[in-house]
This record gives sequence, structure tokens and C-alpha cells, in this order.
Amino acid sequence: MTTERLLLELKAVSKSFGQTEVLQRIDLAVRDGEFITILGPSGSGKTTILRMIGGFESPSSGEILLDGADISALPINKRPFNTVFQDYALFPHMTVAANVGYGLKVRGVKNAEIETRVGEALQLVALRDFAGRFPAQLSGGQRQRVALARAIICRPRLILLDEPLAALDVELRRQMQSFLKDIQREIKTTFLFVTHDQEEAIAMADRICVMNSGHIQQLGSAHEVYYRPASEFVARFFGDNNLVEGRLGPSSGDRRRIETPLGALVCAIDGQPHLAAAPEGAAAYAVFRPEALSLASTGSSEENRAHGLVTGLHFAGAHTLTSIRAGGHEPVNLRLRLPSKVEGVALRAGEAADLYWRPSECRLVLK
Amino acid sequence: MIRDSKTPYWLVGITGLVFILLYGPIFVPIASSFFALKQGVVDWQQPTASAYVTLVSNEGILVALRNTLVVGGAAVVCSLILGIASALYVNSGRSKDRALLQFIIFLPFLMPPIITGLALLIYFREIEFDRSLVTVIIGHTVFVLALVYRTLLVRLQSLSRSLVEASYDLGASGWQTFRYVLLPNLTSAMIGAGILAFALSFDETMITLLVTGTDNTLPIRLWAMMRLGFTPDINALVAVILAFTTLLCLLAARYLMPRES
Ligand SMILES: Nc1ncnc2c1ncn2[C@@H]1O[C@H](COP(=O)(O)OP(=O)(O)OP(=O)(O)O)[C@@H](O)[C@H]1O
Ligand SMILES: [Mg+2]
Repeated sequence: MTTERLLLELKAVSKSFGQTEVLQRIDLAVRDGEFITILGPSGSGKTTILRMIGGFESPSSGEILLDGADISALPINKRPFNTVFQDYALFPHMTVAANVGYGLKVRGVKNAEIETRVGEALQLVALRDFAGRFPAQLSGGQRQRVALARAIICRPRLILLDEPLAALDVELRRQMQSFLKDIQREIKTTFLFVTHDQEEAIAMADRICVMNSGHIQQLGSAHEVYYRPASEFVARFFGDNNLVEGRLGPSSGDRRRIETPLGALVCAIDGQPHLAAAPEGAAAYAVFRPEALSLASTGSSEENRAHGLVTGLHFAGAHTLTSIRAGGHEPVNLRLRLPSKVEGVALRAGEAADLYWRPSECRLVLK
Repeated sequence: MIRDSKTPYWLVGITGLVFILLYGPIFVPIASSFFALKQGVVDWQQPTASAYVTLVSNEGILVALRNTLVVGGAAVVCSLILGIASALYVNSGRSKDRALLQFIIFLPFLMPPIITGLALLIYFREIEFDRSLVTVIIGHTVFVLALVYRTLLVRLQSLSRSLVEASYDLGASGWQTFRYVLLPNLTSAMIGAGILAFALSFDETMITLLVTGTDNTLPIRLWAMMRLGFTPDINALVAVILAFTTLLCLLAARYLMPRES
């Protein structure tokens, strides 16, 4: 449902609390109808962005545009956005139905209409039979769904969700992730979803905005941020990546070489013109995913290779993470993810191993 | 009293002694109010309710009781209104004037009542405000406000800030948020604080003595009666005031206890 039309724009938005600047000149454009996720470690400023959009905080500088018009002066209750709070913020003294209908009641909607729309909203989140209960009588996942129903009933332009699944256990989280995604498709509303869990972001988002200490590190599709990290931070943030430090060599077309302790590696740089433009000799990292490494050569001449000793095997269910010490006098620790088998993986600790990976699965980030 | 096996006997002994020495005297007038008095000495052989009969047939005491109830009721209403307003204001942010306001509210509660009473007395004289039950009500409100304010503030602070934010977020105005979200969550704290305030006002003596005109409240009446000599109805009055205050405190505790969520 994503269109290229912009719904909301943050332009050079900064925010300081006293002396500390927690957001520094953030530029972010949210497309109409998309599911966009803000991902970042604790304290990176995710909640602060959300609260400024919702109107709970005002930016220290910069502007926030809705449909191209500045909404900085618009109070919270006049903004066409609704928030799903991390602690749900359900009104404890109201029934589920009264909670969900609250947004309509305060707008003076007629009781009969409130009743039908509350019914519809509860139907959507599969909680029709719970209308008469109080929040304290619900499970975590049910409260979550009430909070969602309460937010969507007002038909907002944008729904803001601040780590709404953080308090749920793993199984319920998975369910709620696909549930949220389905609802978003059904009501065709823009979702801005905050999380610090990369898997969650990848599973849900059309686009991911990776944040670190008040800066946007990268904004792109899940595939992009996963396979084409724009910075060392992003490369390290999406777990277990191999980063091998080196100096940039010459480039040719979509490929650029990097001199590393493993020898010269060939990396893909398509779509990242700043990498082609970086001077030779600049410090950089070759980045490749543990699942990109293979124990068998494809025979291609462009292929990257490394030789090393297996130092450890960590069984993790579906796959086994293998540590390998590769390279000569400057050894580099590499991680290799192999599919687990009942009889174990092909490698034993202490064995020698040859590793191969394609240039298209090897990216560069500048140091 | 159930003794924990780890508590040494001497500790139980000392606690028991302190209890009897300090709190024992409270029970003497209650007990003696149910017995006849002969030549100024309680006759423990003759139980009687005559002291209470004298009490309720005493016109002056009934008027004093009415005054006490009027003053208490009015002080409760005034302190609740002022308490909510100031607790909402203080809770809505952080600033120097909020800290100052809070300090001033606590002052009359922490100062010796005689100082508060004198200050009020001088003030009323200065602005030529005639002393009456109205000045007593003002005095009591100033005195109990700290307690009401504090109780409401604690309850407000225990409410998640996101409740208020959620209300605004859903389109409610400030008034709607107060009416539909805050007030319902404050009711039990208001009832509890109101009862406590009433109990405080019920036996407040010092400030009342200083700022009242010709009207008597129960404690003032008691004070006056005692100066004329020790009579059985004094015991009865003490017992009544004590019983009533205890009852109120128990009630208040019920409303102020944290409820399991
Ligand atoms: N009201 C405030 N006053 C002062 N500092 C604040 C305030 N709110 C947030 N901060 C600071 O701003 C920074 C960003 O906070 P924010 O809540 O946006 O982080 P976050 O990315 O949401 O983190 P988390 O994942 O832990 O929720 C933090 O360093 C925090 O201490
Ligand atoms: Mg946060």
C-alpha cells in the first residue's frame, strides 16, 4: 500500500534536554501507508522522535511537516495521530469498551455510533467478547490489542507505536508481530513503530530507520540495511556480522578491493557512490555475513577466500555458529553459520577449514 | 500479640511496659466514664451510663457538636478543592514556584499550632475580619491542607504519566482529561484524605481557641468544662471524641490503603 506520497517530514529536527543534545538534525520522511520502523539501541533517541511527532515534546529546532504544513504549534489533542504506549496506558477504571470508545466520546460522537464502531474495532483485534472486562482482567497480549483498537478507532493518519511488544514473551511477540502487520494491511494506515530488536524490525518493516546516539545511521528497506550497511554501526548492529579491517584498494566498476590481513578481498559497492569516491588507502572494513561463508568453492576466480582453524562451535538450534581463526601473523576471528544436522556440522574444533564467499556478499563500510 | 520465635523476651517486655505506661492513661477516662463518681473519686463498683445521659442533655455540648461538624465539613470541602488544585499544579511540572508552594502548604502543619493560630489571629485583626466560625474554618483549612494535598499528590504521582498523555492523544481536552481520567482515579484518595482532615479538624484545639469568636467547638467546650472541675461528663466527652477519631482513622486507612491492581 506504500505510495511515494509523503505523509510526514522531519526537517533538521534537533532536541536538547538542558545541556544534552539527544537528537541532532534529524531528517526523516514517512511515506503514506508504509510500515516504518525506528530501530536503535537504548538511549538512541527513538522515543524522543516519537514523542515529538505525537506532540508530547516540542523540537528545540527544525520543523515537523504534515502534508507539507508545519504542525509544530498543533497541540497533542489536535494532531491526527494516535499512540500505542509501551505500558499500554489503558484507563484502569474503564471497561475495555469504554477505553476503546474514549477517543470518540471526547469528540462528542453519538452513543449509538460509538457502540457500533467500538464493536467493529474490537472485532478487528478479536476481542469482541471482552468488551465488559476491565484492563486488570486481561493478559498482556490482550491489553496490547485493546491499546491498538483504542488507537485505530479514531482513524488517525499515523499510528505511533513505542516498543509495544517489549513486555511480551517471545512466542506472543511473534504472534503480535504478524498480527500488527496484518492489521496495518487491513486498515491501510501508516505505522511508525519503535523497537530495539533488529529481528522484529526486519520481520515487520517496509523501511527501517537505524538510529544511534541521536543520529540516523541508515534509512532503507530491511534488505538494504541487512545486506548493504551504510556504516560500521549498522554493520555491527545486525548481529554476528564479520568485519575485517583494512585499507581501500583500487575500484573497478561495481567492485572495489580492500587490503586486509586475510589478503586482498573484493567487495561490491553498487548503489554506494561514496565508496567509489573514497580515496585509496582509506581505512575501511570488509563486511560479510556469517551465513555468506561457504566451505566449498564455486570455482569462480573473483571469489574471496580465507584459510583458518576452527576454534569453537556453538550449537544454536537450526544453525551452528562456528568461530574460525583465519589469516597469518595478524589473525582475524571469523564467524561462520552452518545449518545444524543431527550428526553435527562438517567441522570439528581444531580442524583446518577453507572459507569462500562471493564479492556480491561482501560489502564495505568506511571506518 | 504473636511473638516471633526470634524476638527476645526482654524486647517484648520493654515494649509491653512502654505501651502500658504511655498509652494506658488514654483508657482510664474511657473506663471511668462508665462508672459513678463519689466525692471526686471513681467508684469502680457502680457501673452507670449517667455521664452520657448528662452529656446529651447538655444544650451547650450539643451546640458545640453542631459547630464542630459544620467546621469540619467546611474545612474538608475547602481543603479538598485547594488540595486538588495545588496537587495538579505541582504534579504538572518542575519549577521553583512549585517547590515554594509545596513548602508553604506544609508550613502550618509543621509549625507549632500556637504559632499558626497567633499568626492567623493577628492577620484577622489587622484586616478587621470579625472572628466567628468562618475564621475557624479558615484556620482549620490552612492546618489540614498539607495532609490533603500530600495524599492527593502521592496518588497523582502513582498514576502513570502516560494515562494523561493517552487521554490528550485520543483528542480529549484538559477538562475532559481531568473529569474522565484523573478524577475517577482520585476518588478513594479524596475520601480517605477527607476523612483524615475531618478527624484532624474534629479535635483541633489550639488554633480554634485563638481564632474563634464566641462559638465553641467540642474540644473548646471540653477545655472550658475542665476549668470548672472534674465531672463525669468530661470523661464521657473524652471517650466520645476518642472513639469518633479512631473510627475516622480506621475508615481513612481503608480508603488510602493501596489496592491490588
Ligand atoms: N525528559 C528528559 N530529560 C532529560 N533527558 C532525557 C529526557 N527524555 C529522554 N532523555 C534522554 O534522551 C536520550 C534519548 O532518550 P529516548 O527515550 O529517546 O531513548 P530511546 O531510544 O527511546 O531508548 P529506549 O530504547 O531505552 O527506550 C537518553 O539519553 C535519555 O536519557
Ligand atoms: Mg524508548
